[in-house]
This record gives sequence, structure tokens and C-alpha cells, in this order.
Amino acid sequence: MSGVRKAVTVHVPTVNDRLKDFDALFSLWQFTNGDNLDVTFDFSQCHFLRQNAVAFLGGLARLIKSRGGSANFLFETLEPKVFDNLLEKGFPQAFGYISDQWKGNSIPYREDKVERKDELVAYLKGLWLGRGWVKVSELLANEIAGTVWEIYANAFQHGKSPIGIISSGQYYPKWRELHLTIVDFGVGIPSNVRSYLNHINMPADKAIEWAMRDANTTKPRTAGPPGGIGLGLLKEFVKINAGYLEIFSHDGYLYINKDRETFLARETFFEGTLVTIKLKCDKRYYLLSSEVEKETKS
Amino acid sequence: MSIFVSKLVGENAITLADGQKIFEQIYPPLKSNKAVQLDFDGVKVFASPFFNGAVGQLLKDLDWNEVDRLLEFINLSDFGRKLVDRVKQNAKQYYTNPTIRAAVDKAISEQADNT
Repeated sequence: MSGVRKAVTVHVPTVNDRLKDFDALFSLWQFTNGDNLDVTFDFSQCHFLRQNAVAFLGGLARLIKSRGGSANFLFETLEPKVFDNLLEKGFPQAFGYISDQWKGNSIPYREDKVERKDELVAYLKGLWLGRGWVKVSELLANEIAGTVWEIYANAFQHGKSPIGIISSGQYYPKWRELHLTIVDFGVGIPSNVRSYLNHINMPADKAIEWAMRDANTTKPRTAGPPGGIGLGLLKEFVKINAGYLEIFSHDGYLYINKDRETFLARETFFEGTLVTIKLKCDKRYYLLSSEVEKETKS
Repeated sequence: MSIFVSKLVGENAITLADGQKIFEQIYPPLKSNKAVQLDFDGVKVFASPFFNGAVGQLLKDLDWNEVDRLLEFINLSDFGRKLVDRVKQNAKQYYTNPTIRAAVDKAISEQADNT
């Protein structure tokens, strides 16, 4: 990674969760996709950042650093309410800003380079689900944590992310929704599927669709035990519990809720994988596996 | 013989590596036609990679009817049982479905050609 250093400034826009907001994030990745870049992130044009943007920007900063560059966030250019929200998440603190973290409605920003299962389960059960926003039994909280773990397991097993896996969440009281975004900057789902099926021209959306089917895994049999049911379980879970699952990987896109499954080929490319899961904070939406079976049989 | 899963993996049975630990304990007796009880008392969180490692790969060279007869799951939650059922079905397909096997074998042979 030796070579000429280049300094660039990027202006982070307001980022919500519409498709064009993700395009804006992926454009930042494209703009900073090189070695030895000294990148300054300016927030003077940003009025709101969702948890998807927080996870993505954190990962992007680590990626830039892993490529011999540096990332500098100009936190002083943030509007106070946006900065407060980032402080709640512990985001500036992860990049050297000294402050006492406080919680509000945020779920902490988190980076995992290795699979620390007990810490991650504690995060999911205690800091994401367990803040009293979703009133579910411990049994059901365990089911939800196990199901969401499938996203992490998939990323650790297949993602090949040079900087690990980044998570950030948020509770939205207005909609009574709990969101969690998990992003890696690895090879992406389509790359794994194309390589496994030896189908280099397979469209990204078709590759994601293939990966979401039960029993489909990109792991060679010689690599050990079978796999491939985790994403299917996740899909089933959001359909039953009125949540949604959204995946961006390369130029492929997936959106699943209880009513529809949408796979799209998009124009904006991002090499890694970004997954967002949304849960409704209303216990009426939640069923234990045993209750689902009873309803299915009756 | 009885194996207490929580003693080996703690209360979160979710990773492939943990599943492998269990597999290494149960494969030899099952291979020798001995009954095994897997006791999940104290285990709270389950995910499919664990069961893929612990149970799914048994089917690679053991007859599933024999595994069903010899391997007993006790103190396992409904969610855990659901995962075991899925993993069993998936493993059967993985190790026996000619389409999947052909795709895997093709990928492996091409990988070998490129090395």
C-alpha cells in the first residue's frame, strides 16, 4: 500500500432509509474506494443520520484505515441533535472523542472483528431487545436473539470482511419500531454465490434470491458441516412477526416483509453486505415457535 | 451416555465451533452403536450453525435412522427442536441430493484445477 497519499473531503448528506439514502452511502464508499486516502468527513450538509448510516460510516472509516489511509470525522460540523444521537450510540467515542456515553433511544454502535458470541448475544438481548421497548418473555427474547445471530453467523462465515462486522441500532418511538443494521465490507453475497455456482454473470439480485432459499449455502462440502438455513429462518421470522428484512449487496437488493418479497437489480454498487432488520415493538406481533406450529396446524 | 451441552459451550449454543465440540463428543459412541443423551439444561439461545456442526454433519457417514434411534435430545426448547428438525432435513438434502452434490463437486474440481 505504498504510494502517494491523497487528501479528500466528503460531505455526508442527510441519511434516512429510502433507497436513495443508501445510494448516497454507497456513493461515499465508491468515492473513497482506494489506498492511502486521507478522508475528512464533513457533516455540515447532514440533518439526520439513521442507524444504517452510523454503521456504514463507522465501517467505511475502518476500511479506509485498513487501506493505509486515515479517516477524520468533523464532529464539530454536526447539528447538536444529530451529534447527541451519535453520542448516545457511542459513535464519536469509538473514534477517539471523549464523552460519557448515555443511552436515550439508541442502541450502541459496535464493531466485531471476531465472533464473540457471548458478548454479541448480551448486546442483542440486553442493549437491543432488553431495554423494555419490546415486552417479550425471556424465552421469546432468546428465540429472537438466536434468529438475529444468523445474520452475524452468515457475515462471519462468508463475508471475508477485512474490518469485521459493524452494528448499530435505534428505537423509533413514533413508529414503535426497533431497527438494527449490520454491515460488512467483505466480498458480498453475489460474489460468493457466483463463485460457488461457477456462474460469473449471475445478476446480483438473483444471487441474493438463491442465497435466501433454504438449504442453499456457498460452503463447499469439503469445508465441513452443511449450512444454508439461517437466512431462511430469518425470512420466516420477519414474516411471522410483522417485521422486515432488507439486504443490499453489490447491486442486488432484497426487501422482505409479511406481504411481499422484492428482489431488485439496482444501479448503485457496494461490494460488501448491509442488512437491516426491523421489529415491531408490540408483543401482539410475536409468537413462539410452538405457538406458530399450533396456529399452522389449527 | 449423557452429555451436558452447557458444560461444553455455555448458555449460547449458536456457533459452528461449539457444534463441532459436541460432534466430537457424540460421533464416536454413535458410530459404535451406543445411545447418547444430549442434555440442554441451562442452554438458552440456539442458532442453526450450532446444530449444523453438532448434528448435521453426522449424516455424512452415519445412517440417519440409526442416529434418530440412538441420539436423544432432552431439555431442549421448542425453538431448539425446530432448528434440529430443519438441520436434519437440510443435512439429508445436502449429503444426498444429486443436484447439490453435482454443483459442489463441480466447484471443487474446478477449484482443484486452478491450484
